[in-house]
Amino acid sequence: MKSIYLIKIVPFLFLSLIISSCSESYNLQTDNYEEALVVEATITNELKNQEIKLTKTSKFEEEEIKTVAGANVNIHDNKGNIFYFKESAGKYISETKFRPSPNTEYTLEIATTDGKKYQSSNETLTTETEIESVTPEVITDIKEGRGVQINVKSYDPVNTSKYYRYEYEEAYKIITPKWYPIKLVVIGPREVEEVLNETNKKICYTVKNSTDILQYTTTNLLEDRVDFPIRFISDQNYIISHRYSILVRQYVQNIESYTFYKTLKEISSSGSVLSPKQPGFLNGNIKCMSDSNSKVIGFFDVSAVSSKRVFFNYKDLFPGEPLPPYYTDCSNQFFNYCWGAGDPPCVGGTLIYNLTINSLTLINIEPKYIMVNAPCGDCTVFSSNVVPPFWTD
Amino acid sequence: MNKIISLLFILFLSNNILIAQNSNEKFSIKFKDESLATAIKNIETTTLYKFYFDPTWVETNKTLITGDYNNITIDELLEKILNKTDLNFVIIKKKIILTLNNQIHDKLPSNYFADTPANQNEKLEENIENPVFYQQYDSLNNYSITKKTAVIFIGKENKESVKKNYLISGHINNEETNKPEANIYIKIRNKNISTSSDPNGYFSLQLPRGMNVLEIKSLTHKEFTKTLMVYNDGTFDINLNEKSNQLDEVVIKKKGKRVTETVLSGLVSIDIENIKNVPLILGERDILKIATTFPGIKTTGEGSAGFNVRGGKEDQNLILLDNAVLYNPQHFLGFFSAINPYTAKKADIYKGSIPADFGGRLSSVFDITTKNGNPEKISGEGAIGPITSNLSFALPIEKNKSSILFGARATYSDWILKSLDDENLKNSQAGFYDGILKYNNAINKTNNLEATLYYSQDRFSINSDSIYKYSNRLASVKWDHSFNKNHKASLIFTNSEYKFNINYDSEDINAFDFGYKINESQFQLKFNYLFNEKHHFSYGIASKLYNINPGYQHPKKTEATLIPIDIDKEKALESGVYFSDNYKVSDKLLIDLGLRYSFYAALGASDVNIYQSELPLNEATVINTQHYNNNEIEKKYGGFEPRLAARYFFTEDFSIKAGYDFTRQYIHLLSSNVTQSPNDTWKLSDTNIKPQSGQQISLGLFKNLNDDEFEISLEGYYKKSNNILDYKVGAQLLLNKNVETELLQGEGKAYGIEFLIKKQIGKLNGWIGYTYSRSLVKLDGQYNEEKVNNGEYFASNFDKPHDLSAVLNYKFTKRYSLSTNFLYQTGRPITFPIGTYHYGDAEYTLYSDRNKYRIPDYIRLDIGINIEGNHKIKKLAHSFWNISIYNVLGRDNPYSIYFVTNPAGKIKAYKTSIFSIPVPSITYNFKF
Repeated sequence: MKSIYLIKIVPFLFLSLIISSCSESYNLQTDNYEEALVVEATITNELKNQEIKLTKTSKFEEEEIKTVAGANVNIHDNKGNIFYFKESAGKYISETKFRPSPNTEYTLEIATTDGKKYQSSNETLTTETEIESVTPEVITDIKEGRGVQINVKSYDPVNTSKYYRYEYEEAYKIITPKWYPIKLVVIGPREVEEVLNETNKKICYTVKNSTDILQYTTTNLLEDRVDFPIRFISDQNYIISHRYSILVRQYVQNIESYTFYKTLKEISSSGSVLSPKQPGFLNGNIKCMSDSNSKVIGFFDVSAVSSKRVFFNYKDLFPGEPLPPYYTDCSNQFFNYCWGAGDPPCVGGTLIYNLTINSLTLINIEPKYIMVNAPCGDCTVFSSNVVPPFWTD
Repeated sequence: MNKIISLLFILFLSNNILIAQNSNEKFSIKFKDESLATAIKNIETTTLYKFYFDPTWVETNKTLITGDYNNITIDELLEKILNKTDLNFVIIKKKIILTLNNQIHDKLPSNYFADTPANQNEKLEENIENPVFYQQYDSLNNYSITKKTAVIFIGKENKESVKKNYLISGHINNEETNKPEANIYIKIRNKNISTSSDPNGYFSLQLPRGMNVLEIKSLTHKEFTKTLMVYNDGTFDINLNEKSNQLDEVVIKKKGKRVTETVLSGLVSIDIENIKNVPLILGERDILKIATTFPGIKTTGEGSAGFNVRGGKEDQNLILLDNAVLYNPQHFLGFFSAINPYTAKKADIYKGSIPADFGGRLSSVFDITTKNGNPEKISGEGAIGPITSNLSFALPIEKNKSSILFGARATYSDWILKSLDDENLKNSQAGFYDGILKYNNAINKTNNLEATLYYSQDRFSINSDSIYKYSNRLASVKWDHSFNKNHKASLIFTNSEYKFNINYDSEDINAFDFGYKINESQFQLKFNYLFNEKHHFSYGIASKLYNINPGYQHPKKTEATLIPIDIDKEKALESGVYFSDNYKVSDKLLIDLGLRYSFYAALGASDVNIYQSELPLNEATVINTQHYNNNEIEKKYGGFEPRLAARYFFTEDFSIKAGYDFTRQYIHLLSSNVTQSPNDTWKLSDTNIKPQSGQQISLGLFKNLNDDEFEISLEGYYKKSNNILDYKVGAQLLLNKNVETELLQGEGKAYGIEFLIKKQIGKLNGWIGYTYSRSLVKLDGQYNEEKVNNGEYFASNFDKPHDLSAVLNYKFTKRYSLSTNFLYQTGRPITFPIGTYHYGDAEYTLYSDRNKYRIPDYIRLDIGINIEGNHKIKKLAHSFWNISIYNVLGRDNPYSIYFVTNPAGKIKAYKTSIFSIPVPSITYNFKF
């Protein structure tokens, strides 16, 4: 009799112990906001107008990013060159095109309008190492299931690069599954008109940048050879339905900047639930020279960059297989377009309202009207029909 | 005799007024070597007074009286000549009545006629000493005085006596053989007073004035009960008869010294028998959890391993199991303690004054000892609970001489997880077990041998490819030898090992095996020398060899691209010599002067990085690497550690204690998390990591009330520590060859006031403790990366200023008792996000200064019911049930709050709580 009771109670205990250990969201309070300067300054070995971004920290409830205007920004090297930056559209762009040369020390200086002066430590260009290849491959992951794994390979025979940071820009072609040659246009409070639909709402291209910090180090490997799985896309993800392109940018870092980015990422991830990480303020290589109490966030990187783009088609990787499901439900919905009483009930008002907010699109005019969710027939509601300049079919 | 005295009373009452007038006359008298009898005759002839007494009282008195008394009243004269005798007197007109022992009073106590028969003596009024009246015996119905047990009077009643307790001593002899009887346990009925006779049959007891019922219950002797009427210090000899037939076992208990009496302050002693009734968590009796209900001992949160004693870090506690260091005293991330409650005897936790024979940690010593097996018969104990089962049994090897005790405990959680339908949990595993074996042999009167072997193992994997394992192993051998009654020695060898392992088994070609191991061997030689009544010396030496394997990572597949990593082993020798004198300056003042000298040497083989001076330690500032050969001394540290403690009695049960302690610690726990976790590693001091040191001053007031029914203490401390370890933000501590580049060493400061009230006897018993304390840290390096919070003091992770805990137990009947456990703590500090910023298209969180905010307060109530089995003597096993509900209030106590930046770049805060609902459990305990 005892054991029956135990068996009932124990799974319950363990549930509360192991999984639930119960995480739930918690409201953040921002009674104590502190303002700090945020500097994003990665200078690369490409000959171009280099960019530096200056912003300020925001309160939680604030959505917009506060840029810092009117600052004096320059980079000087130990060979007597000074590169000035001018403010342009919320960023600071170098007045001339330049690229850092190896074995030269560069220093960033910022003077803000509130009279504070900031200076970075002296940085030199890291080893220039090219990406060897970016390859998509169909794999089956234990946790994620089947999908496309994109790997970056690179090799530094002199074994000095060691620390890598990656960014990518992905672009994909979208073909709406339920494009219809006729569309409904609202022309009066109780009036719609059937007009010819434009074909340019059928095909779109979405371009997105990576937001995660992606890093790799070869310090624990026998040689400085990178094989980094940069992106995994499930075979159920609509973004690879037709044609997909990824541009990978590889930044060679030094240990300090590698540590800075790694810590930035670590303190924003959860760590173990039972043994949480000690978060804290992250010091970069920029200091406020005029007031040691002023906080500055950011790192001045002088980094060698290399980039590579690849394209692939769904039908090449998954020949003969059905397309992944579209990202939204595209089933047909009947709206009885009439006013007053009807059977089924008249929903003319609802239809007109949905058309004005662009949430439905036409799929058949008989019976009046068969509609679908707008993204199924009009990709411009969530993407762009402009072909990106780098796109090749 | 009874009648005479009653009569005298009446007589005396009616003549009350006359006495004062007559006895004021003055006269002169001279005695020269006269016996008491002749002296009395002399007085009778010189004055008009007549004496009334039993001649035997006077004849037995052989003291000769000499003196020349001029112009003296009869009162004064009798005071003088009867001073040294057991006789009292009363003067009624010209009659002098002598009485033996008891005094005749000229007024009744104010409460004599009050309806409080049990209030037999000075329990309530401490300073106004009510006289003890013989008549009271009749109304003391809770003392069942039979005709057989006559009342024995001890000492002479004295009006001026202000002492509360009197020393009664005597010898216990065997009636037949007339030989002294040793180890006879003597108890005073209904009072918390007991003692045992020494090898010479001698015993002494501190008894309160008035009536005491002395009892002796022994396996080998007939029961003995005597009613003692205590008026003053005195002697009382006992003759015992041997028992021809043995009855059931009588558990012999020996009570330690009273808290007011010992010299050490800040000592928490936990007797395992007494924690039987405290509510349980998941049905587990847990010494270490009980420890945290006492002031000054805390954990960071429920389910966090490690303890914080008086504001010290988790690694500053020396946890000893039978003298050997237990590196990880907890199972399952801190939910259960690794100490088997059925084999443990007691735990002494030194959080203030640390005796000089302990060294190596800054904050505290947890000295846990294991029971000896029962050398007489096979016995055992066990429990069946919802998560674990527990069994211990003892076997005599050579009767009354040697025995072994074996204890084992295991979980069935693995089996439970496997049988669950949940896909995630099926892939999880969690389990632990521990076992202990203790051997003891009382070889002869002067030699005793004890040996302990212990092993514990934990294994868990929570829905992942990695299996975490950790284990403790320890062995200890202790040989006690007495050179003579006053000079004793112990020789102790111990060895401890702690290791953990992460087995990452996956499809990945770089599946790996990771491990860490620390091993230490120690030898100790301790002497105890009772030099004389005033001086008690302790001295000794200890030496410890550490061997650490700081980590390896080996790929499991041949095609792996991962290179195997093996961090160089660490080795060090830590030694100490100590001497302490427990010096009884006077009856009131006791001091303990201790001095320890510790010496530490980090040994090769090693390759040590030499960093550019005046620069922060990092890979770029290495200027040289120095190689040391095997056993070559790489770096030496050492120094004196004075330990002082003093106790002063204001009154017999009210004392003040003070202490000063200096401690040094050469080994550090590296933990990048907020709380201790099993994969934290221990690191030895070396060229680049300095040892920690700490100083504590403490002061305490200790008071016992109501015949030790209540113990009250109020203690305060102030503590400073140096070179305590902390880490740079996001430090990489595992498998780091240059781990010193990730570390910061700073200062700590802690202070607090602790209040504790404890009631150990009676239907309602338990304790209530309150602490106000702070624990602060300062990390102020020369460089930005070495500073935290601008180099100012900030609250440590475990700084919880208010801490209230109450453990209360109510016994309804002998079989049913209810226990409750209430806890309130200020929420621990936390580093809070105070804003956001954008970096590389993602949003990140800006954190406040470290530990600037706090999580909500912690409040918890647990309730337990204990049901004892029936009390039949003849049955297979004695048993009891324990039904507990943990967190009855169902309060959602946050364990931590953490923040995640999701892929969309938004920060979300999450609150983790461990047991946010009431958790019931039921445990069956048995004993045979």
